[in-house]
Amino acid sequence: MIKKFLRSRGLRKLLSNRLAIAALGVIGLYTGIGFAVFLGAITEKDTEARVWTDSYPGYPHHQTAEKRLDNCEVILSRVMRVLETEGELSEVAFAERSVSDASIEELTQKVQAGLALYEEIADTVGSLNDNPEVLPRIEQLEGFVDDVYTPLTGWSSLVYDFRLFFGTDRQGRSILIRGIYSIKVAIQVGVVVALIAVLFGSVLGAAAAFFGGWVDHLVIWLYSTFSSIPHLVLLTLLAFMFLGHPLETTLIPLYVAFCLTFWIGPCRVIRGEALKIKELEYVQAATAVGFGRFTILWKHILPNTSHLMFINFSLLFIGAIKSEVILTFLGLGIKDGASWGIMISQSQAEVLNGFFWQIGVATALMVGLVLAFNILTDALQDAFDPKHV
Amino acid sequence: MALIEVRDLDKHFPVRGGFLNRVVGHVHAVNQVSFDIKRGEILGVVGESGCGKSTLGKTMIRLLEPTRGSMRYEGQDITELSHAELMPFRRKAQIIFQDPYSSLNPRQTVREIIGEAVRFHRIVPRDQEEGYIIDLIQKVGLRADAREKFPHEFSGGQRQRIGIARALSVKPDFIVADEPVSALDVSIQAQVLNLLMDLKDEFGLTLMFISHDLKVIEHFCDRVLVMYLGHVVEEMNCIDLQDSASHPYTQALLGANPINDPSDRRPLTVLEGDVPSPFDMPPGCPFAGRCPHQIELVPMRADAHIGIAPLDAGPSIQAIRRFLGQCMQEMPPLETYVEGHRVACYAVDAEAVGAAASR
Repeated sequence: MIKKFLRSRGLRKLLSNRLAIAALGVIGLYTGIGFAVFLGAITEKDTEARVWTDSYPGYPHHQTAEKRLDNCEVILSRVMRVLETEGELSEVAFAERSVSDASIEELTQKVQAGLALYEEIADTVGSLNDNPEVLPRIEQLEGFVDDVYTPLTGWSSLVYDFRLFFGTDRQGRSILIRGIYSIKVAIQVGVVVALIAVLFGSVLGAAAAFFGGWVDHLVIWLYSTFSSIPHLVLLTLLAFMFLGHPLETTLIPLYVAFCLTFWIGPCRVIRGEALKIKELEYVQAATAVGFGRFTILWKHILPNTSHLMFINFSLLFIGAIKSEVILTFLGLGIKDGASWGIMISQSQAEVLNGFFWQIGVATALMVGLVLAFNILTDALQDAFDPKHV
Repeated sequence: MALIEVRDLDKHFPVRGGFLNRVVGHVHAVNQVSFDIKRGEILGVVGESGCGKSTLGKTMIRLLEPTRGSMRYEGQDITELSHAELMPFRRKAQIIFQDPYSSLNPRQTVREIIGEAVRFHRIVPRDQEEGYIIDLIQKVGLRADAREKFPHEFSGGQRQRIGIARALSVKPDFIVADEPVSALDVSIQAQVLNLLMDLKDEFGLTLMFISHDLKVIEHFCDRVLVMYLGHVVEEMNCIDLQDSASHPYTQALLGANPINDPSDRRPLTVLEGDVPSPFDMPPGCPFAGRCPHQIELVPMRADAHIGIAPLDAGPSIQAIRRFLGQCMQEMPPLETYVEGHRVACYAVDAEAVGAAASR
């Protein structure tokens, strides 16, 4: 079976398409990352960990003097608060970056000096951003911060820089880590939904076409009924049904909702194709040999709709990812954890304040995957359609 | 005893329409067809497009369920058999299709296309299967390494050979060849026909050869059935085809055939009008509306209203039937005029047919 697929004309045509190869490469990269996340390279805990200050812009650390100043103030005053109330210093640790183990007095002294310097700079007249004299003093202030938080060295410093690559969100969580973790969520939703919907839809569609009669009527009735319910209403209804259910926080409500609505597409397409194929002469030849109806359906009809299954899989994959984002944005999809939808929905307030890192990363990652799949779908359509020369 | 006996076979397709999708009528594809096929002979079926010859062929091997009538294969009625009971017949009767492109599954290799039926009917033990397939591929004139290829890697003629190999793979006795060469180039047609002829002798086949080309039929078949709008209008031996064809439709078919001899010039008989709709069958002879005999009679019938002048001339019984427009009211029965020659036409003279046969 696999050997046959590798020798098939469709695959050869697909591999001669450079754009398709590029798309396959991108999809492979995403899938690899998704798989690594699945194996535990990034855990859900990592996505929730506070890495640096709230809404800290990331690479290329292009920050205005004012932002850098504010940043230092936020960090120092947070430590100050803990020192004053004699709380646990580990509470203000940022992931790997913890408060230095100097004595309390020493720390207090440094923080106070830092805050004093901050006041001094903040009192400077005029705009800080245009004043080059302020910069060395801000660097001095940042030195205080580095004294309080021991700088990391070696590997852990690299990892830490990686986490800060695209900055942090309003809760100080790493945007890059959340974005990467969301790849796994997206691929998971895409693969599960597209696979179930395509298999279910294809088998139903092919059976409807081949057996005709009441089977056909039933399937047509089913998909007309389902497609006459507005997509969003059904999804809202399902979100409501799962409200308070133990499965509410998992991806299962989303799977159910998408599978219930997505199978219609492949079902219609495959039914149409199977209606055509069942009249073809090779199917009649199989009947003349004496094969049973299920054998004919399995060996002659379903394999010849496989190009449509491929294309529908890739279309539904994109559809599922986009719908996940949209639904999550509306508050009907993924309830917690990390996903592109959650990231985009959380970035609403940030965008209004000119902080675009979160929405930018989530959208860019999504566009990359969706675009690659769109290109692949096109290439698949060209390569595997038996009518296309 | 004949290998196959077909009696009063009807095949009607229901036509559905209207809001409730009710059956509003039937397409009468095959009507009251009766004939025999003797073991080892090639029976040709000829007729224009839509006359029901393919439907007849497919009904013969039960790809389509007959509406009425019976078909006996080696004395056994196969019209009522269930799927399981039909298996021995399925092994013995196969079909070759017209279109070499849609008759092979594009996702199967040649080995799978041929081997599938071999395995299903356990024609040879599993370990001899490979050799059997190679043998078969070579017999139809392809190279043994063709078995690993897909249908799209072959030309039309080669594909038709694969189709023939598939039909032969179960060692059948009877094959319906449904226009096996009409989709091929003329140069390839002859090759495939010769191949069929060779294989027929080698495998001891009985063939039902469907075609719209009288020349091919004449060259290839022993006997011919001429069909018009689902009816068999004439059945005869191919040897006498040119001389003793008696039905006006057969004569018209023959007349439409180009003759490759410039010195042999005959007046061209061109049929007028169109084939009636098989959905709305005329009551009498389906050919009556276009029949040269009828057209010639129209002025005579006009005379009949004022007098009975032609009767005084002492016409034959056939002429009276024609005159009364009997063909318009009932289908003339297929009457045997000479051994092996049946014609369904009131206008045909028994003496004339006999005379032609004796010539």
